[in-house]
Amino acid sequence: MKLSKRFFALALAGVMVLALAACGGNGGNSTPPSQSPAPTPDAGSSAPAAPVEQVLKYGTDTWPAGFDPHTISAIAATRVFNQVYESLISFNPDMTFQGVLAESWETPDDTTYIFHLRKGVKFHNGREMTAEDVEYSFNRILGKTDAGDIGALGSSASYYGGIDTIEVVDPATIKFTLKAPNAAFMSSLTSSYGAIVPKEVVEQNNGSLASIETMCGTGPFVYKDSVVDNYITLEKNADYWEAGSPKLDGITYYLMADESTRLAALRTGDINLCSLSALNLSEVQNDSSVKVLSYQSNNYTYLGFNLSSKKLQDKNVRQAMSLAVDRDAIIDYVYNGEATVSTFVAPAMGHWVWDAPKESPLYKKNIDEAKKLMEAAGYSDSNRMTLTVAAGLLDSIRDTVVILQQQLKEIYIDVEISNLESGEYVDIWGKMDTPEAGFDAMCGQNGSGTDPNRAVSFFFSSTGNANVWGYKNDKVDELCAQGVATTDESQRETYYLEAQKIVIDECPNLFFASPMEYFFVSAGLEGFAPYAANANNFNSITLK
Amino acid sequence: MRNYIVRRLLQLLPVLLGISIVIFAVLRLIPGGFASGMLGIDATPELIAQVEARYGLDQPAVTQYLRWMSGVLHGDFGQSFRSGAAILPEMMTRFGVTAELTILAAVISWCIALPLGILAAVKRNTMADRVVRVAALLGVSVPGFALSILVILFLSLAFNYYPPLDYVGFFTDPGKNLEIMALPALILGASMSGSVMRMTRSSVLEIFRQDFIKTVRAKGASEWVTIVRHVLRNALIPIVTLVGMQIGSLLGGAVVIEQIFSLPGLGLMTLTGINNRDYPVVQGCVLFIAFIYVLVNLVVDILYAYIDPRISYD
Repeated sequence: MKLSKRFFALALAGVMVLALAACGGNGGNSTPPSQSPAPTPDAGSSAPAAPVEQVLKYGTDTWPAGFDPHTISAIAATRVFNQVYESLISFNPDMTFQGVLAESWETPDDTTYIFHLRKGVKFHNGREMTAEDVEYSFNRILGKTDAGDIGALGSSASYYGGIDTIEVVDPATIKFTLKAPNAAFMSSLTSSYGAIVPKEVVEQNNGSLASIETMCGTGPFVYKDSVVDNYITLEKNADYWEAGSPKLDGITYYLMADESTRLAALRTGDINLCSLSALNLSEVQNDSSVKVLSYQSNNYTYLGFNLSSKKLQDKNVRQAMSLAVDRDAIIDYVYNGEATVSTFVAPAMGHWVWDAPKESPLYKKNIDEAKKLMEAAGYSDSNRMTLTVAAGLLDSIRDTVVILQQQLKEIYIDVEISNLESGEYVDIWGKMDTPEAGFDAMCGQNGSGTDPNRAVSFFFSSTGNANVWGYKNDKVDELCAQGVATTDESQRETYYLEAQKIVIDECPNLFFASPMEYFFVSAGLEGFAPYAANANNFNSITLK
Repeated sequence: MRNYIVRRLLQLLPVLLGISIVIFAVLRLIPGGFASGMLGIDATPELIAQVEARYGLDQPAVTQYLRWMSGVLHGDFGQSFRSGAAILPEMMTRFGVTAELTILAAVISWCIALPLGILAAVKRNTMADRVVRVAALLGVSVPGFALSILVILFLSLAFNYYPPLDYVGFFTDPGKNLEIMALPALILGASMSGSVMRMTRSSVLEIFRQDFIKTVRAKGASEWVTIVRHVLRNALIPIVTLVGMQIGSLLGGAVVIEQIFSLPGLGLMTLTGINNRDYPVVQGCVLFIAFIYVLVNLVVDILYAYIDPRISYD
């Protein structure tokens, strides 16, 4: 029956392709709805219910750009890493820490972290994980191994650069000593960059973990096989340390670049889970075979100014733009209302967030005030400013820039938009504090991360890696330094809230919206509750 | 003929050399480099320098080019910066997928286009001709990606059917492989058939007007014999030229169709390589595609001599 159904479907596809190509000829060729065959009956309606195969089929939009967890942090790769590799700790939904490979930890002073490792944890090659593997993994990240490598050669080194020494106290205890107090250290350990890998696998592969076949961690799923640019199959780790986990027998990731094909495959049951944009929500509103799981992301959209451009060095001009922007309109048009007004510390970061939408006058649309500021800067209807904007890679960003173009028109600013390709985007990103960038501003989406050190210092302190705008404020620098040097949470909060107020007032970037993220899943999928700091925990998923 | 083939193959060398220089230069001139792309927003100048040194990208361009070419001449296309996998075997596997898709699409296209093109010419200015011409116009103008998505959506909604997602080779499981290939081949074939149909129609019409056809008919040959033995054979040269060019470009990868149907072909490999700025992958693929394209054209030229005995390369 299955075969005949397939044959029929394919035969019909053939007819349809021809009909679509020829339907302009005469009406007789097209099949009126009344003549179309009856829809296929439910496959399982007459047969006794067979147990559902417990293999999660995940439609992923991009093929991972590499398979070395210490090198790659792009989301398509971490989706897979998070099942195969594990770090010492991870985040709970309330942003407190939970032990993963570390069972407990202590911090005798501001620069010492001692982790007591879980015993009996095995790598996928069957060997038990010990403190030596933790030491080796971090040495690899920092380029201190002699495995014919100069380190993992990735940005992971910038996450853990503050480590001074790593000491194996005993096979189940590891001690990190930092060069200086670093409140963001624990948070950085949750990253997949901090994955623990077995030394022998790295050495067998001449120091490189780039190939998919080298994936060998302690995670709940084990790499089985793959076809490049098509699928990756993982199977259950029978020796996983957490009793009863995972519940699934395996996961298969299918590369499906197109959103509409992912949704079609979800409807037919060929995949059980995929991420889709908000634009698809209305499509599944009345579809009982599909559920939508959503969570507030820690991403935000921004317009960053090239501060080497003289016209943008005037704070009045930047503030005028903030006053002219209607953030709610952006959210309505671009995200169908499914986003929250945001600053660079996204709302998902809870108590670390300064509530600018309520507190800052620059977040309230005021065209009259904006015009006054622009006029004070010398602009008028007869002397308009041209703002060249490079738009980032997402459709939502490109739509946002078009709305900005409309909104800024009112205050004597003409926006010229260029949509960038990924390589160009990265190239121009690194030059946004120089005239070489060729743009006055860049519109994109950034992530606040999981610690305010990332959200504030990384993007806006003068030494921050991602402060590509040429922004420098001594007070912000001082607050960032204080924020990372103390582990007292309420004290840190004070520093970072104050830094946020300054950055929002000075407008080196404008911030707009923090979008929701969506997983579209089949109705029978249960036990999955994604959140911003961990959207890849599939250990409790079952399929019905 | 043999001399001609040898001469053409020798002419291939400067073409490939030129292409290798152009692709090498273009890849390094387009904005964004491999190192900054790999490191993302966490990149620092020191890390970028480390990565470039690791992959030899800190060497002068001429040194890099000569090193690559020397490898290619020894049959070593190098390794992917991203996956570390050897490029040549990967390219051959991918080419197998693309070649199968191309052959299936071409056969489907001929099956549609040749009979309909001849029909349109024979029944010129009748309803049949008009229907074929409109169909051909649609085949040329409806983009393959739009047709693909429409067909996928239609089949999923009407028949709860989606083609298999996990690719298997023809020799591993022919049935499943053909099921995977059916839709993309049908869509590509339908798209290709539009222009072949138009070319067939005009080419057949052209031959019909010639005096020797009158002679054939005067001798009492049936319409069938006239068309198949005399008209079609003489009309084939432009059709074969067009089909050759279509096959040549499809063998280089039907990027969009491969992406929509997640077929791990050469086009998708090249596209991923470009997005990742994986220089050796893109260089290898482009050089290989150029080689195939030129080779297909050579085959077409040789075919001319078989189709039309008046053409001789001796």
